[in-house]
Amino acid sequence: MGTYVVRRVLGMIPMVFLITVFVFLIMHAAPGNAFDAIMNPAIKDIEQLKEQLEHNAGLDQPLWWQYVHWLGLFVTGNWGFSFTHHVPVTDLVGPAIRNTLILGILAEVLTIAVGVPFGILQARNPYGKFDYTSNIVLFCLYSVPFFVFAIFMIYFFAIDLQWFPAQGSTGTGPNAGTLGDHLYHALLPALSLAVVNSTVYSRYTRGSMLDVARKDYVRTARAKGLEEGRVFTKHVFRNGMIPIVTQFGLDFGNMVGGLIITEGIFQYQGMGQLVIDAVNGRDYNVIMATTVLIAIGVLIGNLLADILYAVVDPRIRYD
Amino acid sequence: MSASPATAPEKTQAQPRGRVSKSPTRLAFERFMYNKAAVVSVIVLLVIIFISIGAPLFTHLDPTHQYLTETDAPPGGVHVLGTDKNGFDLFSRDLYGGRNDLLIGFVDTLIVMGIGILLGGLAGYYGGWVDSVIMRFCDFMLNFPFLLLIIVLTSIFNSSGVWLLIGVIAIVFWPPTTRMVRGLFLNLREAEFVLAAKMAGAGPWRIMFRHMLPNIMGTIVVNATFTMANLIAAEAALAVIGFGVQPPNPSWGNVLYDALDYFTLKGEPWVWLPPAGLLTITILCINFIGDGLRDAFDPSFEK
Repeated sequence: MGTYVVRRVLGMIPMVFLITVFVFLIMHAAPGNAFDAIMNPAIKDIEQLKEQLEHNAGLDQPLWWQYVHWLGLFVTGNWGFSFTHHVPVTDLVGPAIRNTLILGILAEVLTIAVGVPFGILQARNPYGKFDYTSNIVLFCLYSVPFFVFAIFMIYFFAIDLQWFPAQGSTGTGPNAGTLGDHLYHALLPALSLAVVNSTVYSRYTRGSMLDVARKDYVRTARAKGLEEGRVFTKHVFRNGMIPIVTQFGLDFGNMVGGLIITEGIFQYQGMGQLVIDAVNGRDYNVIMATTVLIAIGVLIGNLLADILYAVVDPRIRYD
Repeated sequence: MSASPATAPEKTQAQPRGRVSKSPTRLAFERFMYNKAAVVSVIVLLVIIFISIGAPLFTHLDPTHQYLTETDAPPGGVHVLGTDKNGFDLFSRDLYGGRNDLLIGFVDTLIVMGIGILLGGLAGYYGGWVDSVIMRFCDFMLNFPFLLLIIVLTSIFNSSGVWLLIGVIAIVFWPPTTRMVRGLFLNLREAEFVLAAKMAGAGPWRIMFRHMLPNIMGTIVVNATFTMANLIAAEAALAVIGFGVQPPNPSWGNVLYDALDYFTLKGEPWVWLPPAGLLTITILCINFIGDGLRDAFDPSFEK
């Protein structure tokens, strides 16, 4: 297991490297740069200022030089300055990662906490009334795009009832910045991601539970007189979870995509919002840093899912 | 025909009157028609397609024209659903917007399925190094932070055309389909009819497309339907953060994007409710059709 993890982590390096090269090229293929946005009538010679700024940022150098220069500084922890925020990129990225982690973990926990038990509940009495009606409801809910759901959530819970803030990641006042405040702001976006996503988990859980319940070893467990609760926890649940973990791994990339869009809708100051702003402002250093971090995040998520896979299913061995 | 009259009665015996033999396609069609939700969905979807393609029949207003003196107008009068904060007529945008959403969904599904069948077929049929190369490439693409690529590309080539967007979305969505198709081909690889075709001297392309493909077409069609629903949702999701179809070109997603402020959400539901509703209904219908097709092609499939 140890060597497997090391090998996978080492395998990530060329992947991340390729991704940085790719994004760097695309980014510079874009017309215009961050300094085109400077429009201040008080500045006399804008062209000269722009030239000066571009020179300072190294934008007048050949492209390969810019990339090598960026890479050299990046690996030593110097991620450069943001062109639009005028602060070191590391200062922007730190809080953004924290906010995104809060939102992402909350959304994932809610998704699983709602989806999996619901699927189990459906599988308890398959083809019954509850199962039938809830299947139709879940199917319809699954078809609601999560951003439409998010808009309705904002409308009902933030604007109409005013229970939750409509945007932002922290509030103002004495409680600003506490964990409670963060969770309070993350709850609405997390819910809008979780509700639609959890329908997928319910479907998978139900199918998987029904599948396992038919297995011979479950009948054996019942036949030898094991009480129903233990049959469920020890045999049905444990084995039924294997496909769910696979689903979790496959879902990780989607989750990151969903997070970026949700952050955009809720103006939640996480990595997604940072990326969107950086791309709009042609803020090269921020684009590169966020790209690398998001790519690493997705790769680590996939790795974690694979490890988790081996944990729930001892038949799977990595060596 | 008249050579052996003796066989005629036998034939009628094997197939009693009123039970004409049915082709698998016909059986699937009948099973599909039996699924009420799917049939209703087809009708609703056809209506949506009709009103977006035939948009000029319902409104004479130009969806790309900004009525600068009449911004934020409530519904009524010339502007059936009012105008948004930029002065665009909402009714015409909702109608014409469907064209872009459906076009992207349809064309991208074709591209994604085309790539998927070609590469997945090659990987599944040949196996070995061909399979390894294609699948490694798939893995790379699956790990790529593609939302970033879409965002960067669409903002670079900041045009209001949809073809770039169609291309970018296709690049992002082909790997899962390719994986799925590869699995299907892999399952059939050792089948006896494939072996028979090989023995008869059929070439690889002929075996792949004339012998194997028809056998998995049902699964592929079902998958294509669900893919189309996902693609439409994906475009709209991008548009909602401002990176989908670019204004003034309308799409349901970018109408929603312009509605995402406190006052519009609170006071002007006619701005965001129709595009949100149309999107949801379209996706719901496509999913129901997919569900119906799955039941039709594979009656043993258990939900």
